[in-house]
Amino acid sequence: MKPSDLNRDEILMLLRTPALDAELETMLDECTEELCKAVQPRTIWRMLPVGHSDEGVRVGGLLLGGKDIALHLTGCKQAVLLAATLSAPVDALIRRAEASDMMKALMFDAVAGAAIEAVCDELEQSLHESLGFRYYTARFSAGYGDFPLNQQKDLITMLDAPRKIGLTVTQHNTLLPMKSVTAIIGLSDQPVKDARRYCCGKSCGECPNRDGCVYAKNPEDEKGSTQ
Amino acid sequence: MNFRELLKSNSFLYLDGGMGTMLHLSPGELPERLNLTEPERVAAVHRAYAEAGSQVVYANTFGANPLKLEGTGVDTAETVQAAVRLAKAAVPADVAVALDLGPTGQLLQPAGSLTFDAAYEAYKTVCIAGAAAGADLVVIETMSDLLETKAALLAAKENTDLPILVTMTFTETGRTFTGCPISAMAVTLEALGAAAIGINCSLGPNEILPLIQSLSKWTTLPLIAKANAGLPDPVTGEYSITPEDFASYMPAFAEAGVKVFGGCCGTTPDFIAAMREVLRGREPVTPNQHRPLAVCSGIRTVMLDMPRVIGERINPTGKKRMKQALLDLDFDYLRGEAISQTDADADILDVNVGTPGIDEAAVLPQAVQAIMEVTDLPLQLDSSDPAALEAALRIYPGKPIINSVNGKAASIAEILPLVKHYGACVVGLTLDENGIPNSAEERFAIGRRILDAALELGIPKEDLFLDCLTLTASTGGDGPVQTLRAVKMVHEELGLQTVLGVSNISFGLPNRPLINRSFLSIAMQNGLTLPILNPMAEGMMDTVRAFRMLAGFDPNCEAYIAACQNAENPQAAAPVQQASSSLTLEGAVIRGLRQDAAKLTEQALQTMEPLDIVNQLLIPALDTVGADYEKGTVFLPQLIQAATAAQSAFGVLKAHMADQGNAGGKGKIVIATVQGDVHDIGKNIVKLLLENYGFDVIDLGKDVPPQKIVDTAIAQRVSLVGLSALMTTTVGAMEETIKLLHAQYPECKTVVGGAVLTADYAEQIGADCYAKDAKATVDYARTIYGE
Repeated sequence: MKPSDLNRDEILMLLRTPALDAELETMLDECTEELCKAVQPRTIWRMLPVGHSDEGVRVGGLLLGGKDIALHLTGCKQAVLLAATLSAPVDALIRRAEASDMMKALMFDAVAGAAIEAVCDELEQSLHESLGFRYYTARFSAGYGDFPLNQQKDLITMLDAPRKIGLTVTQHNTLLPMKSVTAIIGLSDQPVKDARRYCCGKSCGECPNRDGCVYAKNPEDEKGSTQ
Repeated sequence: MNFRELLKSNSFLYLDGGMGTMLHLSPGELPERLNLTEPERVAAVHRAYAEAGSQVVYANTFGANPLKLEGTGVDTAETVQAAVRLAKAAVPADVAVALDLGPTGQLLQPAGSLTFDAAYEAYKTVCIAGAAAGADLVVIETMSDLLETKAALLAAKENTDLPILVTMTFTETGRTFTGCPISAMAVTLEALGAAAIGINCSLGPNEILPLIQSLSKWTTLPLIAKANAGLPDPVTGEYSITPEDFASYMPAFAEAGVKVFGGCCGTTPDFIAAMREVLRGREPVTPNQHRPLAVCSGIRTVMLDMPRVIGERINPTGKKRMKQALLDLDFDYLRGEAISQTDADADILDVNVGTPGIDEAAVLPQAVQAIMEVTDLPLQLDSSDPAALEAALRIYPGKPIINSVNGKAASIAEILPLVKHYGACVVGLTLDENGIPNSAEERFAIGRRILDAALELGIPKEDLFLDCLTLTASTGGDGPVQTLRAVKMVHEELGLQTVLGVSNISFGLPNRPLINRSFLSIAMQNGLTLPILNPMAEGMMDTVRAFRMLAGFDPNCEAYIAACQNAENPQAAAPVQQASSSLTLEGAVIRGLRQDAAKLTEQALQTMEPLDIVNQLLIPALDTVGADYEKGTVFLPQLIQAATAAQSAFGVLKAHMADQGNAGGKGKIVIATVQGDVHDIGKNIVKLLLENYGFDVIDLGKDVPPQKIVDTAIAQRVSLVGLSALMTTTVGAMEETIKLLHAQYPECKTVVGGAVLTADYAEQIGADCYAKDAKATVDYARTIYGE
């Protein structure tokens, strides 16, 4: 991964600052460089059938909790279940910095946040190019809306993610390595309406996590998103 | 059937292939449940493999451990016993049944939150059940973390008499997902007593072949290969390689030294039959006879093929600041010493926590864990207390050095069995019941006696290092000469690694650095291979680098030149310094100039008391930055930058106060990230700021059980506990901690923070204060402690 793959504005947003002075800019450049060297992006995905019924939506036979994921996949007969991780060395780099230099730790953490986003974006892009569907929903993850976090274990089991990419989940539903994502993308040949993508800056109005969310945008910016 | 004999025989040995592949599981179906509900479905797979020529079948216990089965209603021991019994019933008597141990599915500390003991207990349950049901051997497979692998191996070794096979999963980089290199795996597992080792899963045969070739150079054990049938297609789920394609790689695997063949994900009985067919008429090649001499951590191997430096800084002897840190269980100080020695190019770090008032058996493993969070370097565990050594040896991933055994009968009897059991190297001190002999010959004789005792226990000769003991030159006599002669004799006549604590030589003499580096040079020339020294001390690392270059260990002088260039262009780790005569300490903090802040603090100490510096200079500066932060004119990075500058000022003050023998701060605060939560960064920012304001922060880390937080708060009589939670799922643990605190220590206040909390929520769970950020926590702490 190269520093140029990352969105600098996103890094600054995660650092909770509009700008940096020259000295901190230099430091951020060095941290970005170092983090990119440590990153070993690994992804895995499967294309699975989607089944809607009164009890909710099933992906690959697994019943997913909550109404939001079912709404997200409305009109989709298939979906991609994906997982991505920056891998363990990134956690180690951040952990070490926390013990020696909190400024660096903060910067590594922010850069890693932008990096996992970039990894997911790239995978998503390649899926759009290779799968041949006309419409794709945005990524929807456990913890968005009412899609329960405690299904992380089911999701990574279905992908065999511990064996395939070294991604695990704790008994308290935290993905480890920490900079990791699981998500579901609906596939359809009909236009999809996936405005319920929480934690994403696209549909903040309905989001239960709106307060305190660093991604939250102005209400005027909010529109449903289709691709 | 005797599996050990089978492994020794001069023929290939065939394992089975994929189990999950053959079971055709439906979504959500738990393979381990089938042992109890549909045993015939599992037995049919075993039979098919035996018929295809597998000499070993793996019982269906890969995921059968209490950590994975929690909440499924399947009892671990019950399914393990059923699995082994059904496998034994399914295959002929000449086919062995292996108890299969897979990963727990959880990451161990420090990457995750699972403790070594919890992992060990989980595997112990499986091993006891599997052995009782009649398993012929134990296989540990698909492992990524060396410490988890060690937990499984120790559980098998300590609770069964069965031979143990271990295969780990590597990526194309030659490392596992958690960063364990092939070398560290081989060095560690051979020392721990595995019967055969190898690689399984994750990749196809084409990708695993070079990894096996690399592994063969690191071990004398029989090699195992169990590749996947290529990669699965994400759309169809089908694997990409046919049995014939798969088998066509096997002759090359045999050439690389593989003796034990099998398959992993996507392989079927047809793959086993095809492999047998392809290898018919061949014989295993003679295994590698040479075991490279090395020590390792879980992620770095250090070959002992040239003088290697053991950093001595983590040792309280004669260091007031380190003693104070150990008494306060302030592991950050140890972490700092580990980081600076790692940065100074030490190869191995000695860890000694022996000081009066410390329970070494409790503290040494904690110290080792803290140090491993921040360095990859292998460790030398330094204690005279066997219980402390054993506690640390258990939780150390990799092959460590024990410092030390000596020629006394009691020491040999206590220490060498630990060396053998845990597969460590050991330093033998050439002294005995009569003290340190004067002559080189007598020291050599003691060394030889320790060597004989080690060999008798089956410890490989090269795992013993001898320390011929540096005596202070200033006492007169021929002490240094005898030490050097003994080193030379050990090096030349026994061919062992030699250790010396170098700087002892110069006690009581002027210009110690000169004497130290001169002695170091002479000693290396006489055969010293493992100097123990302070890598930050003037000229010491330079002397080692120069010696390595001149003695032929640094071809083309590359390492030497690189080190010199680094010294000329120190990396701009900290922002560019702009010291000028007009800069004040307050200004340095506000602008985040760390080195200047430290220097100016030293100057201030000449005329001011430490607490006055805190109250009159540091805190006003931090208040200025904090006020700007609240106004929104400076942002988080600038706030943290100022805080790290204040931190470097505090480093100077703390060292000064330890020298003066007073610890005094403004009050103690316990902080922790609550149980279940492993996101630590927010709490660490809070800690930094609290320390900036002169509070003594007792940081319990992440994933901390409620009772531990309460116990610490009571024991330390703190007035405030700070709790952090980042996940909605862990706020419950925060609430429980507060309830427990109210019940057992009601006079203590609580402040809470974290991404998912709000003021309302904080009130609901009974917290005294909700802090929206680190600065707010400091403000609240100041009100509690009456500022």
